Amino acid sequence: MVFSSLLFLFRFLPAVLLCYYLVPRRARNFVLFLFSLIFYAWGEPVYIILMLVTILVSYAGGIAVDAMKNCGRPKAARNMLVVSLAVSLALLAFFKYADFVLGTVNTLTGAGLQLLNLSLPIGISFYTFQTMSYTIDVYRGEAHVQKNLISYGAYVVMFPQLIAGPIVQYKTIDAQLRGRKETPEEFAQGIHRFLLGLGKKVLLANNAGALWDTITALTVSEMPVLTAWMGLVAYTFQIYFDFSAYSDMAIGLGLMFGFHFSENFNYPYISQSITEFWRRWHISLSTWFRDYVYIPLGGNRVSKGRHIRNLMIVWLLTGFWHGASWNFVAWGIYYGVLLILEKYVFGIFLEKLPKVLRHLYCVLLVMLGWNLFMFGDFTQSLTYLKALFGVYGAGLWNTETIYLFLNHAVLLLLLTVGCTQLPKKLGNAFTVRFAENDVVILTARGLLYVGIFLLSVAWLVDASYNPFLYFRF
Amino acid sequence: MKNKMMNKTQSWNIITLFGILIFGFAIATLIAPDTEYSETENRTLAQMPEISLDALLDGSFEADYEDYLTDQFVLRDNWIALKTGTERVMGRTQSNDIYFADDDYLIEAHTGTFTSEQAATNIQLLAQFVEKYSGQFADGHMTVMIVPNAVDILRELLPAFAAPYDEGEYLENVQEAVSEAADTETVWFDARQVLQEHSDEEIYYRTDHHWKTLGAFYVYQAWAEAQGYAVPSADAYQVTVVTEEFEGTIQSKLGIHTVTDSIELYLDPEDPYYTVEKDGSGEISYSIYDYSALDTKSKYDIFFGGNNALTQITTRAGTGRKILVIKDSYAHCFVPFLLSEFDEIDVLDIRYYNQELSALISDGGYTDVLFLYNASGFAEDTSLAKLLY
Repeated sequence: MVFSSLLFLFRFLPAVLLCYYLVPRRARNFVLFLFSLIFYAWGEPVYIILMLVTILVSYAGGIAVDAMKNCGRPKAARNMLVVSLAVSLALLAFFKYADFVLGTVNTLTGAGLQLLNLSLPIGISFYTFQTMSYTIDVYRGEAHVQKNLISYGAYVVMFPQLIAGPIVQYKTIDAQLRGRKETPEEFAQGIHRFLLGLGKKVLLANNAGALWDTITALTVSEMPVLTAWMGLVAYTFQIYFDFSAYSDMAIGLGLMFGFHFSENFNYPYISQSITEFWRRWHISLSTWFRDYVYIPLGGNRVSKGRHIRNLMIVWLLTGFWHGASWNFVAWGIYYGVLLILEKYVFGIFLEKLPKVLRHLYCVLLVMLGWNLFMFGDFTQSLTYLKALFGVYGAGLWNTETIYLFLNHAVLLLLLTVGCTQLPKKLGNAFTVRFAENDVVILTARGLLYVGIFLLSVAWLVDASYNPFLYFRF
Repeated sequence: MKNKMMNKTQSWNIITLFGILIFGFAIATLIAPDTEYSETENRTLAQMPEISLDALLDGSFEADYEDYLTDQFVLRDNWIALKTGTERVMGRTQSNDIYFADDDYLIEAHTGTFTSEQAATNIQLLAQFVEKYSGQFADGHMTVMIVPNAVDILRELLPAFAAPYDEGEYLENVQEAVSEAADTETVWFDARQVLQEHSDEEIYYRTDHHWKTLGAFYVYQAWAEAQGYAVPSADAYQVTVVTEEFEGTIQSKLGIHTVTDSIELYLDPEDPYYTVEKDGSGEISYSIYDYSALDTKSKYDIFFGGNNALTQITTRAGTGRKILVIKDSYAHCFVPFLLSEFDEIDVLDIRYYNQELSALISDGGYTDVLFLYNASGFAEDTSLAKLLY
């Protein structure tokens, strides 16, 4: 199930809110757990078994690790941890990477192995990382062991962050799982955050995606340079608005149930270096890799050579985490190399450049990164790259370029502004300006959020609008 | 931060408002009676799927339920109108692959239709059909006529810089394929050229995907001349406007009300006698027009009452000619012009016809065959393999 659907908004959400707030406090984790399982099972119920196995293995792993530690057997604790992690990673590897490995073997040896063609269990990369963080933190003594299976299950399968993050580390919500206080203030704040996310997803990301789809449907080898760039810009917007909208909705929903998830995006496209970009983009993933891979490897407190090695390992894994395909690996390496270069080669020169050039540098590199990312295939990336730089000689623009631009000018403007802190600043300025006048602020805010809600619903109703007009005549 | 300034009362107001919105629409969709058929959209709507363990496990129930929820969502038409309205405000000259063209025309762009695999396959299927049967008809008595869509003929009206696919390219491929298959050029009739000459006249509906009777009339005139039939002038007919309230399928797709169209019938003032029989049912009627359609949303169904597998018309034209028209709904306003030239007109919609076409042709004793489709309908059709049954 996805948040941006009528099913979620008008069936699931009312039902879960009603049940959650009707039952006594001690049953609330159970309600969350149960509804999250329904949320997860919807459309692909078989994988519920996988989910339960994942929960049980890491739950048992946590208890075993903790027990071994308590009776003074650190080695045994370590072994328990390794077993638990190995099972988690094996499941992830099997469901996400098996076909990639088989395909690579086939390419290299011509073995002709049969691919498994499994559909990817939703959110597996996210929840596997969550369960791993739990057992590791128990082992490190950074998190308490959770002996209540329902509470632990609710953490792993918790629907707000289940399918697209943020990746919540167990230690950050341990206390909230054991006892939290839902307040009307936070609930209301959660509603606002959720609606902002919904609007970002349905109104902005989906429309940017539609423009991207229109452009990719064209023949790339006949594509004028500016059309190709417009396509790349559209994709760049789409991936940010889509992904960050999911995080917004997750954080908002979390607040409605009394949970505080950490922020996942912080205006990444205003960055002035790649280093800064990765501090602002998908923060929960970078944090995870920092805490569980980079720092254990020694981080930057090692020799230059080892530091470079550490960075490359982290970025190779980051790329690979995004998808089971070589181009994601290449995308990870691309960033690894850029970060090393910024750290050791041209970072100092970069700082001396005017702000606007630094920003341009960062945005261009990020966009070229997306070019590597967006097709899932090298050949297509290369073809598109050629179009971007006019290798096909299809000219700078044609009438279609102008038509597409005129049709999407307002959208592109909204998207650009939406990437910056301007809307937030305007909102704050408005609040300050009318600080004495509650009515104005409340009316404006009400109109804004109800408007976003109604427009999003309109877009959702029509998205399915696919009439079979020849049915009756 | 504005959120920090919210106090308890304000928070409760927000929660109440949100609750009213999500619970309100949730309950409304639960209690509102389901609709079987959407008049505005001209299609049957998804119904509550049957629940079973199998359907739940393979995910089909879930998918069907979501379709059902979207199709039966309260105020569906208003939501769609709201979306279209917002797109217009944002400067879009296109929505749902439909151009907001000049002069209040809504014109479907048919993006991707002609470059699809189906489009290429259909040319092959048609060529095989022509090859199979062209020997059975005298030269010039088998005609393939693919009528271009409004987007191709009314180019002048499209928004600035709009560059839709050139249907002429696709039609040339059809022409080439069928001419080669029949080994004669006469098998292809170029309706496009005729319509282009009249592109400044009212030959397409503003709100519907069909051509108007006037467009069909011009094409019939030109075809009759090519065939050596009597070429009628416009005043040979009693042109009757049967409605001015027609809101067609394209407007429905956008959920908005723009303008309404008129539907014209070109009636023979002498009101000749003929009989109409549908699907060999034995029930005879005496008109190809179904006036009751004017009381419904799909007013274009006044022609033949809409689609039907096989409609057989017997006239007293006395020409000794008998024609088989294999068609889609574009033919519905064209066939009336044939009444004076053929003793028998069999109108076949292959999409709904589930018997062998070869049997129909060998038993039918036809002197002529006309294949009449609109270009996008032809390119998208998924049942043309039946031409070879």
